[in-house]
Amino acid sequence: MDFLSMLIPFVEITLAGAIINASVHFVPVGGAPAAMATSTGIGTGTTQLAAGAGFTGLMAAATIAAQSGVNIFNPLHWAIILLSGAVGSMIMLGLTMLMGQLIYVFGVGVVPAADKCERDPITGDYQKPYITPGTTGHGVPTVCFISGLIGAALGGIGGALAYVALIQLGFSPEIAGTIAVGFFFMNAVLASYNIGGTIEGFHDPKFKKIPNGIIASFVASLLTGVIVVLMSLGI
Amino acid sequence: MSHAAGGHAAELYPENQIVAVGTLLAILGMYIAQFFPQVSMLLGGLLASAATVAGANTTRKVAAYGLGTGVPSIGMLSLGMGIISSVSGIYLVNALVKYFKVDALVLYAIPIVVTVIALILGYIVGRLTVKPIGMKIPVMVESMTKLSLMGALSILGFCAAYAGGFLPDIIIPGSIKNGVMALAFIAAGMAILHPFNACLGPDESHRRTLTLAVACGFLTWFVFSVAKLDVISTVVSLVLWALVYREFIKQSLKDACAVYYTPELPKREM
Repeated sequence: MDFLSMLIPFVEITLAGAIINASVHFVPVGGAPAAMATSTGIGTGTTQLAAGAGFTGLMAAATIAAQSGVNIFNPLHWAIILLSGAVGSMIMLGLTMLMGQLIYVFGVGVVPAADKCERDPITGDYQKPYITPGTTGHGVPTVCFISGLIGAALGGIGGALAYVALIQLGFSPEIAGTIAVGFFFMNAVLASYNIGGTIEGFHDPKFKKIPNGIIASFVASLLTGVIVVLMSLGI
Repeated sequence: MSHAAGGHAAELYPENQIVAVGTLLAILGMYIAQFFPQVSMLLGGLLASAATVAGANTTRKVAAYGLGTGVPSIGMLSLGMGIISSVSGIYLVNALVKYFKVDALVLYAIPIVVTVIALILGYIVGRLTVKPIGMKIPVMVESMTKLSLMGALSILGFCAAYAGGFLPDIIIPGSIKNGVMALAFIAAGMAILHPFNACLGPDESHRRTLTLAVACGFLTWFVFSVAKLDVISTVVSLVLWALVYREFIKQSLKDACAVYYTPELPKREM
């Protein structure tokens, strides 16, 4: 294998880690308080949400990559694989947020409201008056939903990029998928430690911590990239 | 979500002792699986569950400080690092033989290479969680190193037990290409993250968490025995699991009783 055909997957996998880490910061994660509708966001942990969206993206990408006639080294096909990962992830997280929203609104009976901003940056609606005293918002308001979709798209692209890089190195789809899953979890958890529990989306003050997470994932992915490229010699 | 910061119940056994025993037993299990494939699941699987017990014990130690993201996150991180190091250990040694024409005897060092890679990866990721990310847990770096090691050893241990050896010719078609590694990822992950996640709280006791950890290790072994259709291992693991789990329920009831009758709890809370 020549130097260039190793360098491109190496760059891809390093970028993939940074993108996955950035994507997690966009997803509105409410954690345990959101499960009781006393905090804005989806009621589960960062890792689970990011992993769910990322795996769907990974599978969508793998499905496209396995179609006959798809050449992984063709830039157009490469872009289509990445986009299909993004769309798969967005569908998964969009449905999660939509169904959660239905339960919050019609089941629990709360008004979707964001705690971290006075007015919704997208619709311009006032948020503060709708928040029950003693809680930090409810449900998934518009800004959180949009932020979640952006996060899912990035996560899908990141997962697909890691998968594509491993396939380009010559791994079989099973092994590429297995390594990509482990790689995804590693970066998603690093991001969730950076967030420290809950986040509402890109309007949350915690979002400003994103550079730290990206640097951490970049270094971790660099190391993984070196390991993976050396591994590819043993196929 | 997480335990009150820094609160530790007394330790029954020192953590390092459990980690050392878990590492040795898991590596021993892989060599048994390699050299005696007829008993690979019976002994290899049993010894691989020692790694999950040690991992669960380390999870208990680090998660007691309060991670802020729930206990499962660190278990998944441990398995994420573990799966990268275990797959890469196999392929890196294979690369040495294929590409650099080293003697094929070096293939028998795969468990050692996996251990070294897992230690390096865990240490670096642990440092990253402290430096740019800023986790304020004093034992973070060493715990990450140990968790990465335990994740890698449990995955490789169960995969070697399933395939009947850890040589690339055996384990790649026998455990990796057919997707058994994905089962090892999530089943061993559950065994590492579940015990403390289930037992945490103000009355958490080391004995009870360890008992549950052993039960979860046996349960993971049982899952692999069923997957391999190995009758003897299935029966043995199920019996052992039932014995340990019964002991766990007994202890839980006893501890629950102790909390219930403590006068410190408010009497008219309900």
